[in-house]
Amino acid sequence: MNRQRDRNYRARIEAALAATRQQDALHRFGDAYLEARRQAFTGMDFEALRQNVSRLKDEVDSHREDYLEQFSRLARAAGARVFRAVDGAAANAYIVDLARRHGVRLAVKSKSMTSEETGLNAALRQAGVEALETDLGEWIVQLAGQRPSHMVMPAIHMFRDEVAALFGEVTGEAEPVDIQHLVGVARRQLRNRFLEAGMGISGASLAVAETGTLALVTNEGNARLVASLPPLHVVLVGIDKLVPTLEDALCVLQVLPRSATAQVMTSYVSWIRGPVPREGQARELHIVLLDNGRSTLAADADCKDALRCLKCGACANVCPVYQTIGGQVFGDVYVGAIGLVLTAFFSGLEPAGELIGACIGCRACAAICPAAIDLEEIILRLRRRIGDREGLGLAKSLVFRQVLRNRRLFHALLRGASLLQKPVFGGRDSIRHLPLHFSSLTEWRTLPVIVEKPLRDLLPAVENQPVSGHRQVALFAGCATDFVHPRIGLSLVKLLNRADMAVSFPLQQTCCGIPALYGGDRETATELARQNVRALLADNPQAVITVCPTCSTALRRHFVELLQDDAEYAEAARRLAGITRDAAVFVAEQGPDPAAHVQRGTLTYHDSCHLKRRCGVWQEPRQLLSEAGWQVQEMERADRCCGFGGSYSFAGYPEISREITKDKVNAILRSGAAVVATDCPGCLIMLRGALEKRGLGLRAAHTLELLGEALPDSSR
Amino acid sequence: MDLTDRFTTAAERAGARVVRCPRRSALLDYLAAEAAGSILLPNFAVGSRLNLAAGLRQRNCPVITEDFRRLAPRADSGVTGANFALADTGTVVLDSTDEPLRLASTLPLRHFVILDPRKILADSMAAVGVLGQLQKHPDPGFTAFITGPSRTADIERVLTIGVHGPAQLHILLLQGVSEDLLES
Repeated sequence: MNRQRDRNYRARIEAALAATRQQDALHRFGDAYLEARRQAFTGMDFEALRQNVSRLKDEVDSHREDYLEQFSRLARAAGARVFRAVDGAAANAYIVDLARRHGVRLAVKSKSMTSEETGLNAALRQAGVEALETDLGEWIVQLAGQRPSHMVMPAIHMFRDEVAALFGEVTGEAEPVDIQHLVGVARRQLRNRFLEAGMGISGASLAVAETGTLALVTNEGNARLVASLPPLHVVLVGIDKLVPTLEDALCVLQVLPRSATAQVMTSYVSWIRGPVPREGQARELHIVLLDNGRSTLAADADCKDALRCLKCGACANVCPVYQTIGGQVFGDVYVGAIGLVLTAFFSGLEPAGELIGACIGCRACAAICPAAIDLEEIILRLRRRIGDREGLGLAKSLVFRQVLRNRRLFHALLRGASLLQKPVFGGRDSIRHLPLHFSSLTEWRTLPVIVEKPLRDLLPAVENQPVSGHRQVALFAGCATDFVHPRIGLSLVKLLNRADMAVSFPLQQTCCGIPALYGGDRETATELARQNVRALLADNPQAVITVCPTCSTALRRHFVELLQDDAEYAEAARRLAGITRDAAVFVAEQGPDPAAHVQRGTLTYHDSCHLKRRCGVWQEPRQLLSEAGWQVQEMERADRCCGFGGSYSFAGYPEISREITKDKVNAILRSGAAVVATDCPGCLIMLRGALEKRGLGLRAAHTLELLGEALPDSSR
Repeated sequence: MDLTDRFTTAAERAGARVVRCPRRSALLDYLAAEAAGSILLPNFAVGSRLNLAAGLRQRNCPVITEDFRRLAPRADSGVTGANFALADTGTVVLDSTDEPLRLASTLPLRHFVILDPRKILADSMAAVGVLGQLQKHPDPGFTAFITGPSRTADIERVLTIGVHGPAQLHILLLQGVSEDLLES
C-alpha cells in the first residue's frame, strides 16, 4: 500500500474524529433509522423480499445486453433518444454537446449520484453551462463546494447554522437559523430557476425493460419539476438500474423507500416514458445509459453481486465506521460499504485501497442490504486482491508467512511473549501500559496478557473426563482462548463432561488463519486450513466445538472454499465443516443443567458480529444464561460491533476502534448490568480492556465462563 | 378494516388529509374553503362530470382552466382526479401525461385530489396490470405515484414539508363518480 496515501488518509481520519458534532449526528441518525426502518418493515418478510430483489437483479445480469436492447427499443418507440455511454467522459461529452446545440445556459438537476460519479457539473461548467442542484441537500453541498457525504442525505454532515450562512450568501441577507424558514428560502430561490432552465437533468432509480419506462423515486418534488418544466430532459442512468418488468420495479419499490428513508413509500414515484408534451414547444427526452466500469464489475465473479445495489444507503446508515468518520472520509462518490466496492470499480483499486482497509468487517451492511449483497465478503475479496497486487508489506509478510505457517515457531513465540511481558503487567492479568510509541495502544484499554500456561498445557490435566469412546468431541480453541483466556476452554470441558461427553484437544491445531485471510494472505490461510483439517479430524471426533465465532467461520466456510481445489483435502474440509458446532448451540442442545438454577443477578449480552451475522446464533447464549440464573437485561443495539475487528484495533485503525468501543461501553453502562457476556474471545479482549481501563468495575466474560461457574462444584 | 379505511390510515400517516365528501356540493364547499388564491383546474374526466369549474365559480373562486404554462407558477391550488389509489401505502396514482395535470399537481402549494373510493386497490402488486396499461401504449406517458405532501429531511434530518412540491395534499373521497382506472 502506498505510504504517502496511507499517511494522507490517516490525517483525514484524525480530522473526522475531531468533528464530534458530526459523529453525534450520525449516531443519532443510525439509531433513529433502525427503529423507523423496523416499523416500516412491520408485517413484511424482509428476507423473502430481498431474495426476490436479488433474483430479479441477477436475471438482468445474466441477460443484460438483451434487456438493454429491449429497454432502448421501447424508449425510442415512445420518442426518447437513447445513448450508451461507455464511461463518464462519454456521458458528459454527450450531455455537454446537447446543451451546446440547444443553447442551454442553465441546467437544473435533481439528485443524481451517477452525475456525481461522472463529474457532470464540472464538465458543464467548463462548457459555460450552469448546472444547478435543486435537491435541498445537494444544493447545500454545492453551495459549500463539497461532495455529498451520503447517497440519500447528501448534507447529513452539515448543520442548520452552516446552511443559514450559505443561504445568506445567496440571498444577501442574514437568514434565521430555522429549518422551516431555510426550506422556504430554498423553495423561493429555486422555483424560478426551474422555469428558466433550458435543460433538466435527473438520474433514475429504475429502468423498466418491458416498457422503456424510467422511474424517479423522490420526496421533495424537484425531480418532477426537472422532468417536466424545461424543454429538454436528460436522464443519466447506470445500466445497473435495469429491471425486466413493471412488476419487478414494484417489487424493488417494496424495499427501496423502506430501506433508504424508512418510509413505506416516498412522496413521489414518477414513471416516465418518452418525452411528455409541453405547451408550445417540442420536448426531448435523452436517456444516457452509463457503463463506466459496470460491465467490468459484471464480469467479475467475486464482486458482481454489488451491481444489485439499489443505492438506498442502508449499508452506510448501520456502519459503525461510517458513523465514526462520516462519508467524506469513509467513501468516495458512493459511501459506506457499497461505496468501497464501487470505488474500486469506478475509480480503480488503487484509490479504493485505504477505504477497503478501513472496513472493520462487522457485517452490519450485509445483514441490512435489501438486495442481499454480501458486502463484507466482497470487501474481503478486494482486500485479498490488493494484497496480491501490492504485496503485504514486510511486517505482515514476516508474521503470516514465516511465523503463522510454522505452528511450533508461532506457539514458541507466544510462550516467549508470556515471559517478556512480565515487567509491564506486574502480576495482574492485563497490560496497562506499554513503553514508547506502543503506548497509544494502551491509552484507552488494557491489553490482554498471554498466560503462562496455555489451554493446550492445562487440558490434559483436567481429570474425571468420561471414558473416551463414549461420546467424544474435539475442541478447537483458537489462539485467544488457547493463549489468553484458557478458562473459556476449561469451562466448556466441564459443561460437556456433565453431559457425559469427553472433550479432546488435538495438539496440532493452530491459528485458524483468519488474520492472514482478512489481511490479504490467502496462501498462508490455505496452509493453515490444511494443518487444522489434518489435526482436527485425526481422532475422528463426533463433533468439533468452537468457542470463537470467527474461528467457527473459518472451519465451516473458509476452509471449504480455500481447499476446494485441493485433491487431498477438499473432502476432509467439507467433512470438518459438517461437524463443526458453535459452543453455545451445542451446549444448549444438551439441555439445561438442573443444578444451575440460582438467582445470579443481572447481565447484559453483547452479540459478536460473527456469531450473530455469520453463524446466525443469538438466542442460544441468552437462553443458556437465563437458565443458569442470570437475568438478561438487553443493552441498546446489542449487535453493534465492539470495535475489535482483530488486527484492525491494533495495527489497522485503532483510533476508529477506540470510538466504536466507547459507544459499546456506553451502551453496556446504560443497561445497568454488572456483567457483560459475549461468546467471542476477541470481543472479550476488547470489552475487558476498555472496561478495565475506565475502572468501572464491570465484568466482561465469555458465556461459557459464566455457565462453568454456575455448575455446582465450581469456584472462579 | 376495509380498503377505504386502510387507505385513509396510510395516507394520513404520510401527511395527507383525507376527507369523505357525501356529495358534489360538499366537495365544492370544501374546495372553496380550503383553496386560497387562484385554482388550477385542468381538464379531467371526473372534473368535467362534476362540472367543477361552474361549481367553483359559483362559489366565487378564481379558476384557471387554460394558459397553464403562464399562469400555473403563480397559482395557489391545483385540483386533479386520480386514476386509482393504493391502500397499503396511502398512495394516489395520477396519469399526468397531459401538461396541465402535471403543472396542477406539482407547482402549487395545495393539491386537491378527487378519488372515487371504488378505485382503491389493495397494494402496488394489485396495480401491476393497470400500470402496464398506462405505460405500454405507444405514446409518451407520465404516471405519478403521490404519497403525502412534498417533504425533505435534508437539514439535520428534521422532517419539513413543502420544499418543492405541494405542502398540502387533500384527498377528497367521493363515491359514484368513476370506476375506470384508466381515467382520472
